[in-house]
Amino acid sequence: MAKKRLIFTLLYNDGGFMLSRNFRLQRAGDIEWLKSNYNFKNIAFTIDELIILDVSRNERNLERFCDHIKVIAEECFIPIAVGGGITSYEQTKAIMNYGADKLVVNTTLFRAPDFVKELISTYGSQCIIASIDVKRQNDQTEIYIDNGSTKIEVAFDEYIDRITNLGIGEIYLNSMDRDGTGHGYLFDFLGQLKSTVKVPIIIAGGAGNWHHLLEGLQHDLVDAAATANLFNFIGQGFPNARKQLLESGIDLARWETANIPDLKKSH
Amino acid sequence: MIVIIDYGMGNLFSIQSALHYLGAQSIISSDPHRINNADKLILPGVGSFYKAMSNLKATNLDEVVKEPVIKKNTPILGICLGMQLLCSSSTEDGFSYGLGLIDCPVERFSENKFVNLKIPHVGFDTVTITKKNKLFDGLDSRADFYFTHSYRMAYTDQLYVTGTCSHGEQFIAAFAKEHICGTQFHPEKSQTNGLVLLKNFIEKF
Repeated sequence: MAKKRLIFTLLYNDGGFMLSRNFRLQRAGDIEWLKSNYNFKNIAFTIDELIILDVSRNERNLERFCDHIKVIAEECFIPIAVGGGITSYEQTKAIMNYGADKLVVNTTLFRAPDFVKELISTYGSQCIIASIDVKRQNDQTEIYIDNGSTKIEVAFDEYIDRITNLGIGEIYLNSMDRDGTGHGYLFDFLGQLKSTVKVPIIIAGGAGNWHHLLEGLQHDLVDAAATANLFNFIGQGFPNARKQLLESGIDLARWETANIPDLKKSH
Repeated sequence: MIVIIDYGMGNLFSIQSALHYLGAQSIISSDPHRINNADKLILPGVGSFYKAMSNLKATNLDEVVKEPVIKKNTPILGICLGMQLLCSSSTEDGFSYGLGLIDCPVERFSENKFVNLKIPHVGFDTVTITKKNKLFDGLDSRADFYFTHSYRMAYTDQLYVTGTCSHGEQFIAAFAKEHICGTQFHPEKSQTNGLVLLKNFIEKF
């Protein structure tokens, strides 16, 4: 049995890394800031998987985005999933060449399901993460696409059926209500998932401290807990959170970190 | 110089990044001369066995890779599909022969044993080191590595099995037959556990 996972999501926008609160973006810094000031590699050695999403609201620049993926992937020895505005093979090829192992699709799932199906047959199910942005409204779960700006008129359970039938490998469920709030994950919509959903569920949106991550990972239906908040787990926050989760009995992978200085020989 | 064999499949960049991090020089190449003169070879791979063997054969790379391994004892590490390609055959996308550097068929996980088995087997999982081997020097007897695969080595001489993992059944996670070794998991995606293993391959083989 594969282990539960802790995932960090980096939000990229036009050369910068962003904080998001209820899908409103605020720039935190550029790649140099992420590497040097933020010391991202410290976090990279305490997570199980990394997701990098191009959430640019304006026109996307693929080449520049790939340069950023490359720099991050060079010192990140875990699976990396990349997404944001994927609509063509040219994009996926470029992204995979720069160290990505998985692709994240969101709007394309709704607009071009046949293309997603092709991606699945090219790269395999395990390679495709379906990202769904959800909002709770009057006890209903609404689905949004286009960076949370367009509501689609499809029922949540029907949409889940639709995408799992396509053959996607995992589902990333992001609560727009909790996004960036640090108030903890929302679990309401998990109850609407049928027992026929066999793919791993990644929960996102709202984790503000390690207790929230624990709540997420302790949930029966959740395989992975994600956070995109650059500042809620700053400094030793993430290493400490992982330690606490392991001590609380969560079955996460284990590895040494004390030996990192001995392993790193490149400059 | 370590040569990462390029036959058009696999995450070559990640492997090269890991080697670079460890201070080892490597090149990504399909050049027969370079492969023949390599200090060490890494055979990566993601995707279908059948497609991979077709790619290798189309450019005669299958023979090019085997020659230094057999004639000069050049150490080779197969990773994931690369490990499977070192085997004798696979049933993925129809039957096809592999490089045959270790006698072992590759087959899909058997689905009928456990109803709830998720295939592919994806994620970090624990490898039990069953036989002491320098590839695992410095690691605990149970170490976690990242896997993503639907097929696995079916059975081989126990003499060569160095690590096992469990996914509905016990399967071979790593083997070493002298200078020929393979890991079903991705050391380049397995944090420091994987880096230690790659460092061992660089320094001790």
